[in-house]
Amino acid sequence: MDERRTGWVLIIVLAGQLVYLALQGARAGNTLLESLGLRLLGPAARTVANLPQDVAGLGEGMRTRSSLLDENRRLRREVEDLRLRLLQLNDVQGEALRLGAAVRHASPPLGRIRAVDVVYADHASWLRTLVIYAGDRPAVVNQPVLSANGLVGRVVTVAGPYAKVQLITDRAASVGAMILRTRRQGIVRGSGRGSGTIELDFVPLQADVRPGDAVQTAGIDGVYPRGIPIGTVTSVNQGGQLFHSIQLAPAVDFGSLDQVYLLDYEPVPQELRETAPHERP
Amino acid sequence: MNALKFFAAVAAAVLFHFLGVRLVPHFSEVIDVFLVVVALHGLKGNSLSALFAGMFIGLVHDSLSGGPFGLFGFADTIIGYGAARLAQRLVIQRATGVLALVSFATVAQQAIVVGLALLLLPTPEVPNPVWVAVRAGACGLLAMSIHIASAHWRRTSEARRRGRMSRLRLS
Repeated sequence: MDERRTGWVLIIVLAGQLVYLALQGARAGNTLLESLGLRLLGPAARTVANLPQDVAGLGEGMRTRSSLLDENRRLRREVEDLRLRLLQLNDVQGEALRLGAAVRHASPPLGRIRAVDVVYADHASWLRTLVIYAGDRPAVVNQPVLSANGLVGRVVTVAGPYAKVQLITDRAASVGAMILRTRRQGIVRGSGRGSGTIELDFVPLQADVRPGDAVQTAGIDGVYPRGIPIGTVTSVNQGGQLFHSIQLAPAVDFGSLDQVYLLDYEPVPQELRETAPHERP
Repeated sequence: MNALKFFAAVAAAVLFHFLGVRLVPHFSEVIDVFLVVVALHGLKGNSLSALFAGMFIGLVHDSLSGGPFGLFGFADTIIGYGAARLAQRLVIQRATGVLALVSFATVAQQAIVVGLALLLLPTPEVPNPVWVAVRAGACGLLAMSIHIASAHWRRTSEARRRGRMSRLRLS
């Protein structure tokens, strides 16, 4: 084919891709090509992800018996302490439920968690991604993803047993959040500075915010339930005329994720979220 | 045969990328293995093949990145075609020429991706220019190493083939 014809092919191919990108922007969510790519690349990512684990497993098998016994003793003590705390918390929970029942308060369902493996994590580049392997029970779009320390993000693409997760450090992600000490609500977003930090937006200047304040999900965005730790306030500055500029350190170390938890939780239905206040759903 | 070589190169790039990301936290910021394959394929000079190869590899990269699907597909199509057109006009014999071309292609790819992100996303994030410069240098070095290694391998296998032919003639 001569170069002139190739030039036309280039223009057609580029125009096609632009249209595809534009259409995708209009209806966010799963795209067929992306799912196909994830389905094809997922097994390779899983194979590579398992390699270092096998090497680590070999090393662990060669540990001395005494260090394992020490660890076992320490863990037993921790379990005892946690059991004691659980008893106290059960007591508090019972009291909260009784008080709630007295005023007929319907608390939202908490949901169940299940552990899934991270097969690919690119938390450093400016287009961050996490690919998980959910096994026989595939993930669902918008399903919250947590770690033991706090909120990781939500599922955005599902391809069979594999799913792509949007991290909360992503500039395009937004989470309804609140400051635990004052219950003041705002929106958490990726700071977009490539450093993996997040920021809390829309907190008015008159609100009391201090470095060290814990921030957790507020349960107001219809995706994440209330009470999942997001991070800690590291700095508070006067952003504009109305709102604070609040920087947060995420509760999760995104560089050390090899297993995360999928929260099987019933989010607020999409049609209800999109209904305008004056309309009937 | 060429198609087989190409898909083998893509598979190798995917595995190299997965291993790199697994072992080095900032790997994907420093090296774009997919772009190196696109640029080296483009240097063969077939613009039509380079165009489709760029699109294919870009979409593979898109499957692994968090942005809108098709950003890298679009950018790598242009890079593949551009590299092929350049190879038709220039004779790149020295390895440093490959280094310069791939480094330039890396910067160009990042510029296209950022430009598209600015057009398509409401709050786009822009990569750190220092990392872009590091990435350009690292990709150039990787491409140069591959170019030198493949040239060496070609020379060795050619010499071995000639040796075998001469032995046949003697017998």
